Amino acid sequence: MTAFLQALIDGTLVGGVYGIIAVGLSLVFGVLGIVNFAQAEFMMLGMYAAWFAWRYLGLDPLIGAAISFAVGFGIGALAQRFLIQRVMNAPHVSQIFLTVGLLIVLENAALLLFGADFRTVQTPYQTQSLQMGPFFISVPYLAAFCNALVVSVALWLVMARTWIGRAIRATAQNAMAAEIFGVDAKRVYMIAFGLGTGLTAFGGGIILSYSSVSPTSGAQYVVLMFTVVVLGGLGSVLGALIGGIAVGIIQSLSTLVMPIQVQNLALFVIFIALLTFRPQGLLGGASR
Amino acid sequence: MIRSLLVISIFAAAALVAGAVLDPRGYIVRVVCLMLLAASLGQCWNIVGGLANQISLGHAAFFGIGAYTTTILQIRYGISPWIGLFLGAAIAGLVGFLISIPTMRLKGSYFALATLAFGEACRIFATAAAGLTGGPQGISVPFVGNSWAMMQFRGAGPYVPILVGLFILISVIFVVLSNGKLGYLLRATRESEDAAEVAGVNTLGVKLAGSTISAALTAVVGTMFVQFNFFIDPDIVFNPTSVSIRAALITIVGGVGILTGPIFGAIAIVTMEEVLSAYLSNQAAGVAPLIFGGLLIAIVLWKPAGLSAISFSRKRALS
Amino acid sequence: MRRTLMLAAVVGVMAGTQAWAVEPVKVGVLVPLSGPTSQFGINIRNGVELALEDIKATGGIKSLGADVELVYADVPAPNAAAAAVQRLVSQDKVVGIVGAFVSSTTLAASEVTERLGVPMITHSFADQITGRGYKYIFQVSNKASTIGQKQFDYAVEIAKRSGKPVTKAAILYEDTAYGTAQAKGLREAAAAAKIPVTLDESYPLNVTDASPLVNKIRASGADLVFPVSYFNDALMIIRTMRQQKLDIPTVGGAAGYIIPDFKKGLGEFAEGVFSIAPANYDNAPEIAARYKAKHGVFMAHEALMYGAAFQHMVKAIDEAKSRDPEKIRDAIAKLKKCDGFSAGLSGGCTAFDANGLTSVASPIFVQWRGDDIATVYPPEAAKALPVWYGREVK
Repeated sequence: MTAFLQALIDGTLVGGVYGIIAVGLSLVFGVLGIVNFAQAEFMMLGMYAAWFAWRYLGLDPLIGAAISFAVGFGIGALAQRFLIQRVMNAPHVSQIFLTVGLLIVLENAALLLFGADFRTVQTPYQTQSLQMGPFFISVPYLAAFCNALVVSVALWLVMARTWIGRAIRATAQNAMAAEIFGVDAKRVYMIAFGLGTGLTAFGGGIILSYSSVSPTSGAQYVVLMFTVVVLGGLGSVLGALIGGIAVGIIQSLSTLVMPIQVQNLALFVIFIALLTFRPQGLLGGASR
Repeated sequence: MIRSLLVISIFAAAALVAGAVLDPRGYIVRVVCLMLLAASLGQCWNIVGGLANQISLGHAAFFGIGAYTTTILQIRYGISPWIGLFLGAAIAGLVGFLISIPTMRLKGSYFALATLAFGEACRIFATAAAGLTGGPQGISVPFVGNSWAMMQFRGAGPYVPILVGLFILISVIFVVLSNGKLGYLLRATRESEDAAEVAGVNTLGVKLAGSTISAALTAVVGTMFVQFNFFIDPDIVFNPTSVSIRAALITIVGGVGILTGPIFGAIAIVTMEEVLSAYLSNQAAGVAPLIFGGLLIAIVLWKPAGLSAISFSRKRALS
Repeated sequence: MRRTLMLAAVVGVMAGTQAWAVEPVKVGVLVPLSGPTSQFGINIRNGVELALEDIKATGGIKSLGADVELVYADVPAPNAAAAAVQRLVSQDKVVGIVGAFVSSTTLAASEVTERLGVPMITHSFADQITGRGYKYIFQVSNKASTIGQKQFDYAVEIAKRSGKPVTKAAILYEDTAYGTAQAKGLREAAAAAKIPVTLDESYPLNVTDASPLVNKIRASGADLVFPVSYFNDALMIIRTMRQQKLDIPTVGGAAGYIIPDFKKGLGEFAEGVFSIAPANYDNAPEIAARYKAKHGVFMAHEALMYGAAFQHMVKAIDEAKSRDPEKIRDAIAKLKKCDGFSAGLSGGCTAFDANGLTSVASPIFVQWRGDDIATVYPPEAAKALPVWYGREVK
């Protein structure tokens, strides 16, 4: 029982972070209808941004993540404007492979610019935990989780209350109708894509607080991210957060009954089953 | 059509001549073999991606099944890969059929994601099932020297006629499929699934047949790859990037759904890989793959219908 | 293509005349310079370049009157190995190859070198490398199973001397060729020492969350843990262990535990962490100092090992007095080299047995001290005393 609860705690906390990196992917898909295979590379870029902010400005990565967001937003918006926009109406193959090309370029540009070394930050809380009876609550995980939660709420507010949020949602539902009501769809696409990559980069900044970054850091999060989004329903922002926590818990709990080696196998089986039987995600919602 | 057959014949003949004339243990012959393997892999993918318009990102699953089946048979029971390849194809075909039942209902990116996950699941399985596959340590094909019976040679030369044969076989199947009844049905399904259904086409059945054939043939390519590479581990043959995505990439760069697409794609991709690796390996780390990625983006933006579209100036409708 | 042919023709004509003597001898360096293991490939390149400086300073290959030239091939993944080797051999005309760091890449590459009859020297650990009975592949380091075995034996021996013997051990390893082979050695050593292994589990490379692993270590009640992992996993495991107040000694399995980044990542928490290693720079102080002056960090073991492999190859070419790969192979097999980079390895030499496996090397035990790692065991190789639970062990 102790082991079960401990796994539940760990899974929930780390799952919140999966949620925030996946929210970006979900947003991009929901609005542009494009599956961005390069999304995880924006996470890696965000990790580097947070690292530089820590190294040269002395910012804790949980705060430096704001800079990660800005960097992710900027590069993402530019990529959308000059690359993705050109394939908005092209077949799926072109869209998928454009983003695959972008993935290769970003990973190797990072290798050229930053080298292959692993970079890590040291925080005063990196080895701290709260002990409650037999349970340990990792302080870095808890801080990361709270941060992810705050940003999710902020995103929800932006989407629900602001003009740009409404414009994004309107474009997602029906781009043509939105244009008639004076929404510049091209601009909305650019902002939505930037927002999506920015959020994922933000998540990268948070992850850096307990992990490390190298040019291939994105790789291990790719499939995880897609599973989260599919679990929560492609295009659903709230769904991604809940999906993230669900994935974290599944990953964590599965290690109690199965070898850790196959922890992702469980994830993939659920992933394929969900796609097949409930392609709209467990939470339903978006139809795209 | 005639033009396409001409292109295939020229390609096959050029490969055969290269194999016969050049140093059979040399680099160029090996590159020719890599192109043939790549073209064959692309053509297998083309059956699903081109005819059924389903973007599979999980063909590594079938490639790996073929590679492992024949190698395990050879190591444990001394069975020649010539026989093993049939069993590998049968298993991969069956697996392809079964996994397609749920996934073929999915469209566009959903299908791509599901197949990607399936390929990864196979990789994890092969890593974990060490008793069967040797696990992450991988397995080496026993070295027997030059032997036609065991499909193994010291140099790349003798592989050329075998791989040309494989490529022609897959291309013929592709032609038969795309011009026969199944191809007609697949195309009808591709153009409009709903319309095809209304017209009484069993669209799911059609797609299942296509993906079963594609999976079986991919396993044969996997077999040939092992005999050429001699060492495999789960990361090599079940690799999402260097097998699954590459299979799709070859076809897409060349032209999806076009008979000659995988040839142009294979020539372009393999040349790019080898030239970049040969000339830029001495440079700063990462330059070669960076340029590769940049070229990929350029091709997608410049010729969304693939390189085949250059030689055939006829405009192809998108989507 | 045409230019290559013309060049080949020119070279051919020149070969006919007496210009042959100045043509440098080419050695191929097959390493990952991009992709997930590129850091190690870059370190190896730095090490080999440094080794080349020494060769140039002493006049290259004297018996042939020729210089040595390096030809690199980037192999980010094992799939690229076969074509890269073929290109090095038939296009660039290298007479031998050193590389390729990742075991599976080395295995794939050596299938081709064997068939082409070109010698290759590697420092990859996997047992099969020299276990296939191949003639052209040489391994300068011990096999992974030997390394795992020593990792266990040394740790148990130090614990016993400290007065706190090991009662239960935990083995945790990444599911790669390197991890599984080393775990096998650990397991066998534990069985031989009759010490129960209460956790024996593999995990996928690059975990995104280390807490399930550490929860299992804690539950196992082990008083010694052997994690075999690359850097990111190592970092997450150690941090999570410290969070959970698990202060049992940690004995890493080389790789991620003995690179400069380990200290940069963990800071003070790196102090005292043990690892097994095939070699350590403190055994080659002069070379290590030059390396550090040039690159700003200590010389990782792979830089030293491949530098030694390369110098062994060059010396063998010199002794063979030939560019014929067959003769060079025989010279490599026969040569015992104990100077230059080779002197810095454990055992102080590079030499091979009939299978091509090192006949002199023996793994060593290292421990983090400040910004450096010190060799602490076995006593004949040690440069410092091991510290176990805060106390020096004599």
